[in-house]
Amino acid sequence: MEEEVGESLATPAVELVDIWKRFPGVVANAGAHLRVRGGTVHAVLGENGAGKSTLVNVLSGVYRPDEGEVRLGGMPYRFRTPADALAAGIGMVHQEFRLVPSFTVAENVVLGAAKRVLRRGDLEERVGELGRRFGLATEPDRPVWQLSMGERQRVEILKALWRDARILILDEPTAVLTPAEAEELGEVLRHMADDGRSVIFISHKLHEVTGFCDEATVLRGGETVAASLPVAETDAATLAGLMVGATPLTNERPPSRTPGEVRLGVSGLRALGDRGLEAVGGVDLEVRSGEIVGIAGVAGNGQRELAQVVAGLRPATSGTVTLDGADMTGAPPRARFAAGLAYIPEDRLGVGLAPRLSVVENSVLRTYRGQRRGPFLSGSRMAAHCRDLVERFGVRTGPLGDPIAGLSGGNLQRLLVGRELSGRPSVVVAAQPTRGLDVQGVKAIQNLLVAERDAGTAVLLISEDLDELLTIADRLLVLHDGSIAGEFDPASAERHAIGEAMVGQAPETAP
Amino acid sequence: MRRPALVRRERPLRGGQPLAFAVGLVVALAVGYVLLVMAGHEPMRVYQRMWEKSLSDSDAWSLTLNRAVPLGLAGLAVAVAGSMGLWNIGAEGQILAGAMGAAWVARIGETWSGPVLITAMLAAAFLAGGALALVPAVARARIGVNEIITTLMLNEIALRLVQWLIHGPWKDPESHNFPLTPMLPDQAKLPTLFGRAHWGVVIAGAVILVFAVAASRTGWGYELRVAGSSAETARYAGISLKRKILTVLLLSGAVAGLAGGVELSGTADRLTEGISNGFGYAGIIVAALALLRPSGVAFVALLFGAVQVGGQSIQIIGVSASVSTILQAFILFGAIGAGVLSRYEVRLVAGRAGAEEGAAA
Repeated sequence: MEEEVGESLATPAVELVDIWKRFPGVVANAGAHLRVRGGTVHAVLGENGAGKSTLVNVLSGVYRPDEGEVRLGGMPYRFRTPADALAAGIGMVHQEFRLVPSFTVAENVVLGAAKRVLRRGDLEERVGELGRRFGLATEPDRPVWQLSMGERQRVEILKALWRDARILILDEPTAVLTPAEAEELGEVLRHMADDGRSVIFISHKLHEVTGFCDEATVLRGGETVAASLPVAETDAATLAGLMVGATPLTNERPPSRTPGEVRLGVSGLRALGDRGLEAVGGVDLEVRSGEIVGIAGVAGNGQRELAQVVAGLRPATSGTVTLDGADMTGAPPRARFAAGLAYIPEDRLGVGLAPRLSVVENSVLRTYRGQRRGPFLSGSRMAAHCRDLVERFGVRTGPLGDPIAGLSGGNLQRLLVGRELSGRPSVVVAAQPTRGLDVQGVKAIQNLLVAERDAGTAVLLISEDLDELLTIADRLLVLHDGSIAGEFDPASAERHAIGEAMVGQAPETAP
Repeated sequence: MRRPALVRRERPLRGGQPLAFAVGLVVALAVGYVLLVMAGHEPMRVYQRMWEKSLSDSDAWSLTLNRAVPLGLAGLAVAVAGSMGLWNIGAEGQILAGAMGAAWVARIGETWSGPVLITAMLAAAFLAGGALALVPAVARARIGVNEIITTLMLNEIALRLVQWLIHGPWKDPESHNFPLTPMLPDQAKLPTLFGRAHWGVVIAGAVILVFAVAASRTGWGYELRVAGSSAETARYAGISLKRKILTVLLLSGAVAGLAGGVELSGTADRLTEGISNGFGYAGIIVAALALLRPSGVAFVALLFGAVQVGGQSIQIIGVSASVSTILQAFILFGAIGAGVLSRYEVRLVAGRAGAEEGAAA
């Protein structure tokens, strides 16, 4: 390092160089780079699974990279724990807040970082002062349980500032905020950058990136596809294109068939998300017999909630859901299954499958009521049903009496999909059915869905993998901010047009 | 630098729990040995006497079985709730409630024949235990109030109720102002089976068997396991969680209440505030050691019964009965520790140190 003192302005505050991080079965970072200058707000963009979280977790000391180097101000660092990273001035605000609800704002801010005993009054005074300096309005004496999500996030940011973080990482900070709160957050981040700190802002909402970030780095498939683009010289469409990529379709599309009558009807559907904000805001769609309707969208735009409302696991605030013409809006999950609705939930283990139960027990989750002899369940019939599923759907498993949690992701999914399809459904709702699977597993699940369509079933496929949707969907709807932002023909649609609709940049296109 | 760390095994050791249990027993006996030496006793003589008085002959077995009855029923009560992820810490109070219910029937049914009276007493005990669990059950099912707190607090209330009854309305006029209820009529006592063992042994065994079969072989038990494994999966499968929580907590309380009724009718002569003797709390340990399985509860209850009976027998030779309580505690510690080792293994891993290359680099 021969650099002069005068060069220090050009030395980036943070450099991640050629970071590789592999997890069993998946390469999360494949030579990713990130350079963040001091005094800037830097966006890290990418679709789900692009490796954003892994990359910042390497920076914050949660993961150790397999290869590559972390440099702060030009010096190489090796963090073993998040505490090491914090000591080096790196603060992280996670999506899930880590606050003690019964403690006050001030107590939460200094928790674990008070070097000596402080008087309550002094403490509140100093926390309040810190907040004012950065435009973070707080009431230091309020207990955290009384605060809104936006206020809690400010407490998390104050925690990092109290520990004098020079580099602040925010993981999708606006996901829990109302639009007004997101605006305020932008101003706070600006304040911090003006103070000479670096802010790393993970997001996939492009208008925020163009609104208050200085530079942007785009990741795709674990690699950096665009590094430190000056936001002022680019636009949302360019960024969207970089995020979704422009790889031409090489996959053979299975031939479509002519769709039949409407099986699943959704009309004017609205529903709240977990935080009580509207997540589904007036969705209309139809799925006909013999077609796969794909739902594309960046994570967190209402896909999960839409699937749950259709499956009966989340109440609709208005609108209707019909199965084969019959109104099912208020029907419990069991009635919908009986009416022919199969549901492959996003969370395999924990919703679709019970982790501590055996393979056999999980295989009869939908049908155990039919496996009874008097009050008793017939062990032999359950086992026979399970063996049948395991064989037909190629599930690789140990003893069928072992807990299902020991199966690999692909085999869990084969069992789950097999169980749902074995009931001869007329409608299948599949939420992220291939997420996290290896290539073989992905292909197997996709083939099952296509075969199901060819047998005349109506399939609603929600996926964050645009390639998957373009390959097997017959129609493609884009969900943005809880409503349909466009409809496309997967055989002819332009990828960048879909990408723009996904990030809310395109006007509604008529089919 | 390398340091030892616990690493999760790919799959738990087969037969890990019985093994863990045996390890717990050995640990407890070893710790007890040291404590007895420190207290100036001869450990082997003490252990030998505990063995003789609890398990060596049919007379000893009859005492151990009697003691295992309330422990087993209380353990079952905790295990039934636990299999759904609920913690009934209120078995102690529910036992008292059951004893009160049975004692009340014995008062009003003095003239009834034995079988009718005993059946009515046990039914009342069952219902009374369930009644005490009603408030925690409804509060948990409807508005999600933590059942650990509510069931625990009701223990105190049940105890005060018993005290009020035996100092007040139910006090024996001929007791010379001692807080005692009258003795139970003879026909209110459970007949003996052999030695000093009473029919409660059969009742408890049958109840445990019914629950063991229900838990492992019926749709009801299946739904319980699904709900205990993942509440979201239960909702997905269309299992009503509210109803399950309600029935399971009520049943749990009722089974504990039954323990109180059996204890009153089988062992005690009258209602006293000490009738439960901590069985409800010991039941939590029994259930935990049995991994919340009814069949395991029967076995652990027998062992704890033996330890408790043995512990009482050594008082005569001048050793505190607390020895048995200490042994029970160390069986739990040892078994939990060994249980961890059946799921984890000790490995040497790279040590944790601070950042090696820091700003000074």
